[in-house]
Amino acid sequence: MKRRINVKYLSRVEGEGALIIEIRNNEVEKVDLRIFEAPRFFEPILRGRPFQDVIDFTARICGICPVAYQMSAVHAIEAAMGVSVPQPVQDLRRLMYCGEWIESHALHVHFLHGPDFFGMESAWSDRDYGHIAQRGMKLKGLGNKILALLGGRPVHPLSVRPGGFFRWPEKKELYQLLPDLEKGFDLSLECISWAVSLFEGEEEIKDTGGFMVSLHNPDIYAMNTGTVCTSDGITYSMGEFTKVIEEYQVPHSNALHTGIKTGSTPQPFMVGPLSRINMSFTSLPEKVKSTVLQGGISLPLVDIRMSIIARCIEISYAFHEAINIIQGYDGTAPHVHVEPKEGKGLWITEAPRGMLIHSYEFDRKGNVVTARIIPPTSQNLAHIEKSLRNYIESNHHLTTKALRSGCENIIRSYDPCISCSVHLIDLTEGKS
Amino acid sequence: MKKPRLGIFKLTSCDGCQLSILNLEEELLRVVELFSLSFFPMASDKELGGYFDLALIEGSISESRQREQVISVRERSRYLITIGACATSGGLQALKNWAVLESFKKSVYPDPALIESLSTSTPVSDHVYVDFEIWGCPVTGDALSETLACFLLDKRPTIPQYSLCMECKRKAIPCILVSEGEPCLGPITRAGCGALCPSFSRACYGCFGPRDDANIDSLMRWFEKSGYSGRERQRLLDTMNTYAYRRVQIEKKD
Repeated sequence: MKRRINVKYLSRVEGEGALIIEIRNNEVEKVDLRIFEAPRFFEPILRGRPFQDVIDFTARICGICPVAYQMSAVHAIEAAMGVSVPQPVQDLRRLMYCGEWIESHALHVHFLHGPDFFGMESAWSDRDYGHIAQRGMKLKGLGNKILALLGGRPVHPLSVRPGGFFRWPEKKELYQLLPDLEKGFDLSLECISWAVSLFEGEEEIKDTGGFMVSLHNPDIYAMNTGTVCTSDGITYSMGEFTKVIEEYQVPHSNALHTGIKTGSTPQPFMVGPLSRINMSFTSLPEKVKSTVLQGGISLPLVDIRMSIIARCIEISYAFHEAINIIQGYDGTAPHVHVEPKEGKGLWITEAPRGMLIHSYEFDRKGNVVTARIIPPTSQNLAHIEKSLRNYIESNHHLTTKALRSGCENIIRSYDPCISCSVHLIDLTEGKS
Repeated sequence: MKKPRLGIFKLTSCDGCQLSILNLEEELLRVVELFSLSFFPMASDKELGGYFDLALIEGSISESRQREQVISVRERSRYLITIGACATSGGLQALKNWAVLESFKKSVYPDPALIESLSTSTPVSDHVYVDFEIWGCPVTGDALSETLACFLLDKRPTIPQYSLCMECKRKAIPCILVSEGEPCLGPITRAGCGALCPSFSRACYGCFGPRDDANIDSLMRWFEKSGYSGRERQRLLDTMNTYAYRRVQIEKKD
């Protein structure tokens, strides 16, 4: 008997994709996550452009995580120019990232992924969900507020430049955020308990999580710095990691797939909040940890759908961290002048959806010679297909309709950012 | 009264303008009450065929399937409004219009034959009639809610067509073009963002595209006097609204 699942247009994800699954006699024959989002060719567009353009242009790869692009870009540029920035600049960058994590996660948890757990088509299709949608709006609004203050606007902020910021905020401006952020922190703890409760009495879907990779720091939850760690305990420097991964093209996708080179076939891996939480749970604040553990959840989280819990935990962490940074801010974050020069720079930061890799080569005027960008979603694509395969193999007794919604839930669990994933990688450099 | 049917469509873009709709926050929940949201795949599974009273389109046309898509949306919509730089002027990806596509494809994909892409990225108005355009990379929430409210009131939205300089003056921001010699595109750029870059001591880089009757050549002569080379001057115009700025330059020459 042959069954076919055909999702022509994946809704509640960012960008354009489709899903085709074919099952014959309970064997999975085909799992194609089709990415038909139109490519935008960012890497060649960047060639010959001055370094500031790298920050402003790559932000346009994604309207939901522009800060992630700006952070990976600015660090890669500074690495290439041999510049290091003072602590207050690093802190404000981290604060900006907190804003984006809150904004992006709150959107995904409440509006994109949340409805799956209630069998709803959207966050406004059921009145009972109204208060949850409103909580999402409130949290998202607070994230946006941080971004608007530091960057001028939440989508495509404009303050980031190599060496620091075009303008740093006054102490007073930041302090005014504190009461709202404290309320946000309390609300986010509620969020964690709510997300944990979604899995009460639910059977875990095994083998949908898997080989996890994230940045890691011994004493602070990794955002802008760290080493790359895998769930089997291997540690790479950022540069080493980009050498052990391999990108390859598959016919059904405008986005390249990525795997870690082991033997003859590249091994799929996953990046994102679930990987980060499993890797760095111990460095979270006590209050956040205890709220998670009170819900009866044990780590590591292996059911990919539980990434909704991981996102709520990270929202909480981001509020906590934002409050800390603001309280420690002394009112200045002086900019360091960056002289354009020849150089190569590579950096990885933790975008809301996982590790975002940027690598550039500049000529002596500081203009781009080559650019290479590997977004988290293109790292995850192969792993998403693997999760879907494992899910169907252990749940083939379900009706096609139930399988279809299960599959969609798994895909959304990764928070795929399809418009990021398509635009891709400069392979000319890798080949030579 | 029957609620008007609203559709939100995406072509080649970053989703940032659709996100600006979601960023309306409290107002968004009002929009959901006042309109029947008939097509918004970024936020909802619900998909209804048929006609739209109002279609908002994000993104440029860079693949042939999108041409057909946009014609079909036009045929089914009473009003069609483009939101953002991509839909209104081709977006950042329109930089490929001035390059050779095959070399672009080859530089990104090992097997370029698998990638279907037009050699250009063009605004929606190059393909179908557009009733109203909202500029900006990204569009502002204010412009969106103004447009939606005006649609309900059956009046034309009042969105500024004058230059960014007006906003700077109104906010009493010292002119960074005059006082700092920064290459600010303010004089030729449409207002609407609230003079964000100048308020961050930074030169405007043209997110909102050319204002009506922009005198680009005059500003370029100014930049030339300040020592910017021809290549540097062109680069300043070649950003998210490259297609629109270049078009104004060409039209002025004709």
